[in-house]
Amino acid sequence: MSETAPKLETDAAAILKAQKRRNVWLALALVAFVVIVGVSTVIRLQESDFGGSDRLYFSGYMDEAAKEKRDREAEERAIAAQAEAEARLAEEGGNE
Amino acid sequence: MSVDMTASQPQARLASARDYVELMKPRIMMLVVFTAVAGLVAAVGVTGQGMNPILAGVAVLAVALGSGAAGAINMWYDADIDEVMVRTSTRPIPSGAVPRSEALAMGLIMSALSVLLMWIASNVLAAALLALSIAYYGWFYTMVLKRRTDQNIVVGGAAGAFPPVIGWAAVTGSTPLDAWILFAIIFFWTPPHFWALSLVAHKEYAKAGVPMLPVTSGAKATRLQILLYTILLIPIGLSPLATGLGGWVYAATSVALTTGFLYFAAKVYRSRAGEADAGDEERKLAMSMFGFSILYLFGLFAALIIEHGFGLYFGFGGV
Repeated sequence: MSETAPKLETDAAAILKAQKRRNVWLALALVAFVVIVGVSTVIRLQESDFGGSDRLYFSGYMDEAAKEKRDREAEERAIAAQAEAEARLAEEGGNE
Repeated sequence: MSVDMTASQPQARLASARDYVELMKPRIMMLVVFTAVAGLVAAVGVTGQGMNPILAGVAVLAVALGSGAAGAINMWYDADIDEVMVRTSTRPIPSGAVPRSEALAMGLIMSALSVLLMWIASNVLAAALLALSIAYYGWFYTMVLKRRTDQNIVVGGAAGAFPPVIGWAAVTGSTPLDAWILFAIIFFWTPPHFWALSLVAHKEYAKAGVPMLPVTSGAKATRLQILLYTILLIPIGLSPLATGLGGWVYAATSVALTTGFLYFAAKVYRSRAGEADAGDEERKLAMSMFGFSILYLFGLFAALIIEHGFGLYFGFGGV
């Protein structure tokens, strides 16, 4: 009896040590997974033009928003160009 | 042979990190990763489409994890037959280092993570193919085919043939003919490769009740099948030359390796390998063929990596 007790203690300590070591490895694996997902996501976002057919992360509303913005900017550019043309015409008329 | 899914062995010894690596069948994993990289590199070379190197690395990691996951599931299910066979009795589960339930959990979690990683790093097609290949090996081959039919290796060979297709799909988002040619090479290579080993280990398979071809049909029929599949492999191994996937480097490599493979197959066919009265010479011959078959596959895919990954592709005129 007195001989087996220390052996059991050693076993329990060894099991605990092994469990702790395994937990550390699991934690490291989880951190690595999070880092890999994070880095991959950032790279995919940088590569994405938001308008291609191979969309992974973004649904249609992102395209609609981008299209609205593009249309708005195009309209503003057209108005500015028209105003500039009118101003040039007015200036030429004044010179004559 | 019935399997008690709930049975769990008592832990006989403390598991080390090596046991968990062993659970993932690292040797198979290396071949799987290598062929996936070959598919990926060939896709870049043939189509001209690029892939971010970090994302390519993550995609390859996903393939490795998927292979390990399927290996762990296979070991979980086959623990009872692994225990019976000497060759596999030292594996982590039969040796009592890793409980069965832990192997299953590891396999399932890694399966999910690998498919997710592949999706994030590449596209949904590559992720779906990876999921399919894990299910094919972990479920269809391991649980359905292996213990039921002596054609287990033939049909199950598809599981190991997916990696180059997955690599190709990860780059291009599609799987053209060239990708399926790489699939076919591994598919038709698997039977002669495995049957060469089973000629040596047929007594073990018989003891475990696994219906491998030498157990059900005898050594002579197996040797004939090895020769026939090797002959069938000749045009398939050379077909990348017809589509332009392989250039001069591939041509030289494949001709040399195919000749060697055929030489071994013919020699094994004429031998008494696998017979009850077979001696050490025959055993060595079958193992030599098994070893050469690994060199064959490695050589073909290495030639593709050299051609498309290192700018050494010199195609045939007109192709």
